[in-house]
Amino acid sequence: MKKVININFQGRVIPIEETAYDILKEYIESLRRYFANEEGREEIINDIESRIGELFAERLKKGSTCITDADVNNVIAGMGRPEELEAEGAETTGTTGQQQTTSGSQSASGGGGTYTPPGRGRLYRNADDKIIGGVASGLANYLGIDPVIMRIVFVLLFGALFWVYILLWIIVPSQSVQSNVTKRLYRSADDKVIGGVCGGLAAYFNISSWVPRLIFALPLVIGLLSGPLNWWWHDWDIFWGPKIITSSLGSTLFFVYIILWIAVPVAHTSAEKLEMRGERVDVNSIRNTVKEDLESFKSKAQNWGNEVRQTAQQFGERARDWGRSASAQTKTYADDAGAAVRRGGSGLGHAIGVLFKAFFLFIGSMIALALFAAFIGILFGGYAFFPLKDFLLEGTWQNTLAWLTLFLFFGIPLLGLITWLVRRIIGVQSRNHYLGFVFGGLWMIGLFSLIFLVGTLGKEFKTRSAVNEELNIGPINTNRLLVDVNNTGTEYYGSDWFGLDWDDDWPFYGISHDTLMLTSVRVEVLKSDDNNYHVSTVKYSRGSNPQQARNTAQKIQFNPVLKDSALLLPRAFAISRDDKFRNQQVRVRIEVPVGKRIMLDRSISRYDWFDIRYNRRGFDIDVDDRWEYWHSLRTGVEYIMTPDGPKKVTDLDPQELGRGNYVPLKDRESTDTRRGDTATRYRYRPGRTQESDDSVISNTSYNSEAAGEPESSGSGASDYAEVSSPMTTLLRLFQ
Amino acid sequence: MNIENTQSQMRKGILEFCILSIIRRGEAYPSDIVEEMRGANLQILEGTLYPLLTRLKNADMLTYRWVESNSGPPRKYFSLTPKGEQFYKELEATWNELANAVNTLTSKQGSLTGSMTNGASGESEPQPK
Repeated sequence: MKKVININFQGRVIPIEETAYDILKEYIESLRRYFANEEGREEIINDIESRIGELFAERLKKGSTCITDADVNNVIAGMGRPEELEAEGAETTGTTGQQQTTSGSQSASGGGGTYTPPGRGRLYRNADDKIIGGVASGLANYLGIDPVIMRIVFVLLFGALFWVYILLWIIVPSQSVQSNVTKRLYRSADDKVIGGVCGGLAAYFNISSWVPRLIFALPLVIGLLSGPLNWWWHDWDIFWGPKIITSSLGSTLFFVYIILWIAVPVAHTSAEKLEMRGERVDVNSIRNTVKEDLESFKSKAQNWGNEVRQTAQQFGERARDWGRSASAQTKTYADDAGAAVRRGGSGLGHAIGVLFKAFFLFIGSMIALALFAAFIGILFGGYAFFPLKDFLLEGTWQNTLAWLTLFLFFGIPLLGLITWLVRRIIGVQSRNHYLGFVFGGLWMIGLFSLIFLVGTLGKEFKTRSAVNEELNIGPINTNRLLVDVNNTGTEYYGSDWFGLDWDDDWPFYGISHDTLMLTSVRVEVLKSDDNNYHVSTVKYSRGSNPQQARNTAQKIQFNPVLKDSALLLPRAFAISRDDKFRNQQVRVRIEVPVGKRIMLDRSISRYDWFDIRYNRRGFDIDVDDRWEYWHSLRTGVEYIMTPDGPKKVTDLDPQELGRGNYVPLKDRESTDTRRGDTATRYRYRPGRTQESDDSVISNTSYNSEAAGEPESSGSGASDYAEVSSPMTTLLRLFQ
Repeated sequence: MNIENTQSQMRKGILEFCILSIIRRGEAYPSDIVEEMRGANLQILEGTLYPLLTRLKNADMLTYRWVESNSGPPRKYFSLTPKGEQFYKELEATWNELANAVNTLTSKQGSLTGSMTNGASGESEPQPK
């Protein structure tokens, strides 16, 4: 039962169903729009209306009581809808009128009503345009935005929206919703500087195109500029300083641009261009667009740029799908293997084949994930470590290689992954496989540059030299020397964006823009040849040749200071940006005369010993070889120098000590002397009281010969120090 | 899509000519014209016709007069003006040229149907040797 109204149509009263009237009205409106620019528009409309009126009159005369929906639709079909008028000029085919009405009614039946204005309606899941469950597309329809945007939002906010998606999937009913989304994200073919990404975005969001361009370009430009600027204004270490914008945001946006460039299709046809701008795709707007296009196509440069870009894009797509097809090929190999095994007959074989496939996939995805994670890690950590780069890399060649490695080796798989993901979301079919090739090739270049980089860097660390320097500190007039770390010097504060504090875990300590503080320091205690304390330092460095290493070592500044009876060592030593990081190390050798004592403060354990082993050709050492009597000592423990080397005061019999004899206590827990081998281990006996300190400064690299001191057979404790304490290297590994 | 574009381009090219030829034979109103064309197997939407007629009228190729009708609103009956007649003649000449050219070309393939299989742009194509 429908409501019927009377309208005054071309001077006649016509009864018409209300719904039919709506349809008619909409049609007339659309004609008006269609003929908006047409000269004599009113006349045309009038003519058409009067023709329609005629047709209605005939209808009524034939016996209908009122005009129905069907009548109106028929009339409209006969007249022709604006889209049809423009697009075809006449009919769809040149043959029968049947075709015409069929096509007319087809476009009428799309959504249940012909000219339903795009209203919001109810929220449905879209049954036609769906990747997983049609949630994103239905939601997008409801909100009136491009499903692509919706999908990207879902993917990006995957963690938070995951449950939302599932919920919607369950709750919202599915229906074939006529897509009233008239706005899709395309790349603009006309309004483009590089790839039309910003133009497309601007059209989609209805903003001027320079706005997205600015957003994309500004951090990049600032980042590029701020590189050198940072060196001047290096105290811009503000917590929310521009570094965030420049480095991380700039590079992120750069990648976003690249991804959009690859994944978002270009609006070629007029219909697509209109969709890009969200205008209703009907005749009028198409006409306008075509006019604009004709004007813009006059610029030859643009055409040429188009072609170039297209070839590049095709190439890129080819490379991309080469990568994909390569992995597909491995899959098919695995498939064949699986199939072959299956043909062998056993279900077990089939299972193995499947496992094989799964294994490949797993490996592949693991590699991709690992690279992904590494890249992300590098991106984020790169911010923190970026200042370090200059300490490691020297020269433009290495820098170039490093950047190439970073972007190509790590970045390309990431890019490929994201491209594939976005493509899947958008549903773009890639016609050519060039992108895969390009990606694969670039990745190989990245691999090569990584190898080269490692090679060249390694060369820098090839040889190791040392510089020996006796320090004239003194005279040290004490019987007990305390070796401590000078903490009262300049403190290096630096907490950066990630809140990292320089603590004991880092082999370097403090960093500012042109110096790096290292704490690769080791303290060793030897027996002095005379009755005096002696302090000397050995500075090590690596380099590409011995001379260079020696020079670098020479430049290390490490100056202990004597204060009363304490020897204060600097907390760290500085290397400058020019000197580069070449694994500089400092050994402090303290020679203690027999009978005098020494104690290393606990803070010495905070030194680290960062050591790069480079074992392929060994390394050169060029130092004195008076290493017979050095030992590593525990911190926080007082030692006394005996003819046999330093011993813990607590180990020795106090009474004998007072008499000048070094007699070990009976129940000492010291080294296992009976063994007599050159390497011993300290073992903790449970219940020991004091010596549970943090770490012992352990030495790891030196093996020096025992020089002369015979190993006693270890018959037991004897009075004088014929105890065969280990003469040579003690490799002590403490847990 | 492309073929339909071409096809519709072809049609659009000759529409005016056809319309003028119908009107030339005598006064006609739009509905009649559509009927005639359908009879000649050239389908056209009325919505295409009206603007064309109006354009021709605004260009002084056509003129009309109102005729009262008992079964509806008054109708416009179109007829050709002298200028329109001249226009028609020129179009006719062009059409003949075209038709000859096309026929010649297509006959070389041994088929002489009325369907035009070469472009409707009017430029003569280089003859294949």
